[in-house]
Amino acid sequence: MTNFLIRRLIQSVILLFFISALIYIILNLVPGGPFDMLRQANPRITQTQIDRLNAMLDLDKPILPGEYCPKIGKIQEPCRLDQGRYLRWLGRVATGDFGKSWTVSTGVKVTKIIGYRFGYTFVLMFISELLALLIAVPIGIYSAVHQYSKVDFSVTAFAFFGQSMPTFWTGLLVMSLFAVALGWFPTGGVKSSGMPGDIVEAFGNLFSLGTAYPKLSGKEFKVIMDGLWHVALPAAVLVYFTMAGWVRFTRAAMLEVLRQDYMRTARAKGLAERLVINKHGLRNALIPLITLEALNIPNLFGGAIITETIFSWPGMGRQLIDAITSVDWPIVQGILVITAVLIVFSNLLADILYAIIDPRIKYS
Amino acid sequence: MTDTNSVIASLEDEAQKQEKPVSQWMLVWRRMRRHKLAMFGMGVLLFLVLLSLFAATIAPYTYDEQDLTKVFGSWFVAGLPDKPVHVFGTDSLGRDTLTRILYAGRISLGVALVVTLLSIAIGTVVGAVSGAFGGWVDGILMRFTDLMLTLPQLPLLLILSSSLRQFVGLQNLLGSSLSVVIIVFVLVIFGWMGVARLVRGSVLSLRSMDFIEAARALGAGRSRIIFRHLIPNSLAPIIVAATLGFGVVIITESALSFLGFGVMPPVPTWGNMLNEARSAPQVGYTLFTQTLAPGLCIFLTVLSVNFIGDGLRDALDPRLKM
Repeated sequence: MTNFLIRRLIQSVILLFFISALIYIILNLVPGGPFDMLRQANPRITQTQIDRLNAMLDLDKPILPGEYCPKIGKIQEPCRLDQGRYLRWLGRVATGDFGKSWTVSTGVKVTKIIGYRFGYTFVLMFISELLALLIAVPIGIYSAVHQYSKVDFSVTAFAFFGQSMPTFWTGLLVMSLFAVALGWFPTGGVKSSGMPGDIVEAFGNLFSLGTAYPKLSGKEFKVIMDGLWHVALPAAVLVYFTMAGWVRFTRAAMLEVLRQDYMRTARAKGLAERLVINKHGLRNALIPLITLEALNIPNLFGGAIITETIFSWPGMGRQLIDAITSVDWPIVQGILVITAVLIVFSNLLADILYAIIDPRIKYS
Repeated sequence: MTDTNSVIASLEDEAQKQEKPVSQWMLVWRRMRRHKLAMFGMGVLLFLVLLSLFAATIAPYTYDEQDLTKVFGSWFVAGLPDKPVHVFGTDSLGRDTLTRILYAGRISLGVALVVTLLSIAIGTVVGAVSGAFGGWVDGILMRFTDLMLTLPQLPLLLILSSSLRQFVGLQNLLGSSLSVVIIVFVLVIFGWMGVARLVRGSVLSLRSMDFIEAARALGAGRSRIIFRHLIPNSLAPIIVAATLGFGVVIITESALSFLGFGVMPPVPTWGNMLNEARSAPQVGYTLFTQTLAPGLCIFLTVLSVNFIGDGLRDALDPRLKM
């Protein structure tokens, strides 16, 4: 197990190196830079000024070492290893420095922007994933235990529907009905206009014991309720979509377990059906489900690009879209690299959890 | 003598009539026909395909015909005098939504078909080569597949499709079809990995079977073994994956178009029609009427494809039941 872990860790680091290179190179091969807007807005700006600005952002250097460096004086010579900007950037990223935003909020540190947005994404994703899980597992189990019953049939149909309805459609439908036409919920955003703060600030204040946002002290409950009212529609859309997949997954896992010989043994030794299902069936069916959950961790960070866009929820996904459209590569790189790290390590975590929970699995 | 011969001949005739040889695909089709949901899916999909194929003859309007007096018209709003009603209403420029949906179907279904075929082709070759050669070829190809699977997909799709559009050379070369070509290219880049893994797995298990050994003993070369023996025998999982992949491509393409990163507006697709619907005035049920129809097409297509895939899985390999 230790050998396996060490090997997987080394593999993960190599994988991450290639992923970060791919992300960096794709972004930096795109024509047009952060100063295109500036050039349009101010036609009198000269190329020399643009060059100087580019040099400030390291953009005058080649991506990989070994290519030729820009002319310094009149001598042109191959770059030294530390002059390729990909490796320089990677070095900074390794110390947790993703640079500063170019265009979206010029000059603000990317880590600060991501930290701010993460709160909103986490609230939305945590609520919806938790609800999806709490609903999907019991339904999937019930459906598997009563295979081919009417309930099973409608559950399967319901899951098929959920998987075939894209979130941008359900999102718009739900919004047009419950927010626009009926007016039961807000059409988007995180808080009503009269509120002194939003749900993330209220939680922040609670957890910091009233030091983070003192003006919110005592009003947290009201603010949180308002936030939940705003989160209801986007969360519902996400719950329906995620749940559909998980119901089918749980049902399949449970059906697989129900076929096993130890289930027959449990029944044969006279255990109550309830115990057989809950103790012998459910616990074994949960094994694949836990790995699925581990693989889902990156979503808690990356958020739901489409749903956040429809409901103007100021989370990570929406920030990513904004950054892509306004060529703000430091933000894009920051979000993508962190997402990639989470993907790689949640894969690793899933493998480890699998071995811990299921003693039949041995890594060598 | 002649008598016995004719008796034998008639007996043989009789035997042939009784045991009409049934091909594998006839068996699949027979099993498929019993799967009600798959048949339902096939019907719906066929209906949608025919509608979009004959869009030009069925559609009551042309897809860019504007009527600026009826912007965001509701269902069954009256058209111009001596023109049919707008069954699904009109969009932001007063164009007939039903007509645009029919034309959009051509692009959405066409893009999905091309992307699926290309991804399957690439994935099959990569997987078969990887499985058949083994060794360092397998190592490199599979590590690369893993790398592609680990990348955050949707963000990179957005970045690639928005950045490829910036290249002036491509713009001049492709003109107005630029966004369609880009979306196909980008979706194929991220579409082949699943199939590659599937085919590799199936090839690995087939490789040690007797009939491959026999082919090799008869002097078949490596490529003949790959293309005439390994790939045809892995066809069942490939077909199922292709069907389900078609649905995923439809959703991804519409998602990109919906976010404004896919097929660009003069060319209608179901996804970018939904994006245009978002600009509808948020009063009463206007947004709802604008949203329902294009999304319903996506939903029905993906649902039917999922049903068909499910049916195919059962029909092609009864052991693979889920």
